[in-house]
Amino acid sequence: MTNDEGRMTKDQLTREQIWKGLEPLRGNGDSKLLTHLNSCVHCGLCAESCLFYMATRDPHLTPARKVDLISSIYKRYHTFTGKYLPALVHARDLDEASAREMVDLLFGACTLCGRCTMHCSIGVDISYLVAVGRNMLSNMGMVPATLQSTVQAAVETGNNMAIPTGEFVETLKWMEEEVVDEVGDPAARIPVDEPGKQILYTLNPREPKFFPLSIAAMAKIFYVAGESWTLSTRMYDVTNYAYFSGNNGEAALIANRLWNEMNHLQAGSLVLAECGHGTRAFRWESPNYLERGFPFPVMSSVECIAAYIREGKIQLDPEKIKTKVTMHDPCNLVRCGGIIREQRYILHQFIRDFVEMTPGGTDNHCCGGGGGMLSMSEYNERRMKAGEIKAEQIRISGAEIVVTPCHNCVDQLIQVNATFKLGVQIKTMAEIVADALIIRNQNP
Amino acid sequence: MATMEIEGRVFEVDGDGFLSNPELWNDEVAQLFARYDGIELMNERHWAIVRIIRRNYEEKGMAPMIRTICQETGIKLREIYELFPFGPARGACRVAGLPKPDGCV
Repeated sequence: MTNDEGRMTKDQLTREQIWKGLEPLRGNGDSKLLTHLNSCVHCGLCAESCLFYMATRDPHLTPARKVDLISSIYKRYHTFTGKYLPALVHARDLDEASAREMVDLLFGACTLCGRCTMHCSIGVDISYLVAVGRNMLSNMGMVPATLQSTVQAAVETGNNMAIPTGEFVETLKWMEEEVVDEVGDPAARIPVDEPGKQILYTLNPREPKFFPLSIAAMAKIFYVAGESWTLSTRMYDVTNYAYFSGNNGEAALIANRLWNEMNHLQAGSLVLAECGHGTRAFRWESPNYLERGFPFPVMSSVECIAAYIREGKIQLDPEKIKTKVTMHDPCNLVRCGGIIREQRYILHQFIRDFVEMTPGGTDNHCCGGGGGMLSMSEYNERRMKAGEIKAEQIRISGAEIVVTPCHNCVDQLIQVNATFKLGVQIKTMAEIVADALIIRNQNP
Repeated sequence: MATMEIEGRVFEVDGDGFLSNPELWNDEVAQLFARYDGIELMNERHWAIVRIIRRNYEEKGMAPMIRTICQETGIKLREIYELFPFGPARGACRVAGLPKPDGCV
């Protein structure tokens, strides 16, 4: 520990906290980190791309300020002028005040949606820097307790809502009855813990807990497609809230469980449920967490459904849904992950009156509930203020149904819908597809 | 700690409007919270759902699965979503005086 860092203990943070907090900035010659930390030209373009600035017009909430906060701390400990003449270069100590400000800006005013990154005039990966800042706070034990409790539930119980296995299985049986009724085949199943299947499917725990119709919807699609699939009781949770909290160790632990379950059940490929951050955390981040590449294919359920249509395995009835439909693009899936065309391809098969949101696709506004915001009650007011932008987009679209392939977005949109009295229906992709699915009995 | 005022009564709540001290809950609180969500007068179906959620919380320390709610009340799943516009978690559990459940809700 340097003298500089030792001196920082004047506030409430302990020396150990500061040492750990600064660890992600040491970087060990990480050229990406150094480049992005030192490149912002303060053009201000990012302000108008940020949901929180747009909603509040508070200049403090602009993405550039978030970058500046982290980079000012970096300068204090890693540059010559920052060490000896900090005021000259706006270098700041990592102390109680700057750490509190980091919590408020990086957890409480950012959904990691990445829109600022896309708009940045020189290509600074702003949401990556926010994630580095969250990693610093996580090292210091300063993750908001409201967010950490969801991470903790996942780490301790295997799913982020602490659902007991028996209750989970009962819910699957209940939904199996629903599928049997709807497809009219007593042999229709929701398979559990079956080894050697083509697909291991996952769920967001909010499905079995409160919104199980999306489980039945996907099971119907698998049934009609004649798919060989299974769920697992040991590990079915697609979410990874440690990606939000910035704790890479816990994120790796959670991701590794899904990886192990694939090996345990010897499934052919992994299909991730409609969950933006879960897809991102597993498919695009977990090879980094775990330092290894996938030995099995990983796809989102949206890609899976699109493939069924392309291969003629399922057909959708264009007479079924006649109302106007719009779609909310989940940031992690679309802007960050590049899954853009698949969901449009699906909807164009059977939705006659489809209207895009403006802006949409990769430029879409976040719903306001991403980045772990939904779980952090203390930021509810800010989150709903940000949600008003989405409410306006939905209202302008004139749609009666809003589809979104992300359970986290669904939940924010339910609250947005009720709060701003939009009077729309919110559906997952599997739900709207199942509504129009032409049922073919697989055991006639 | 935030506060929420409904019809002159002030409640200590978390940022999402869930009661900070679930022990302070009673029928009157339930009705006031429901009214805040646009449910003018709770009917017997609202009450049946809230009672089962409350009982589960008192016995097991958490909200019940929605399957349990449907099974014990005999109310159909889709109807629960209609009865509580904010959904089973942010709607029904909040009216039942529970802390906010973890997860994407």
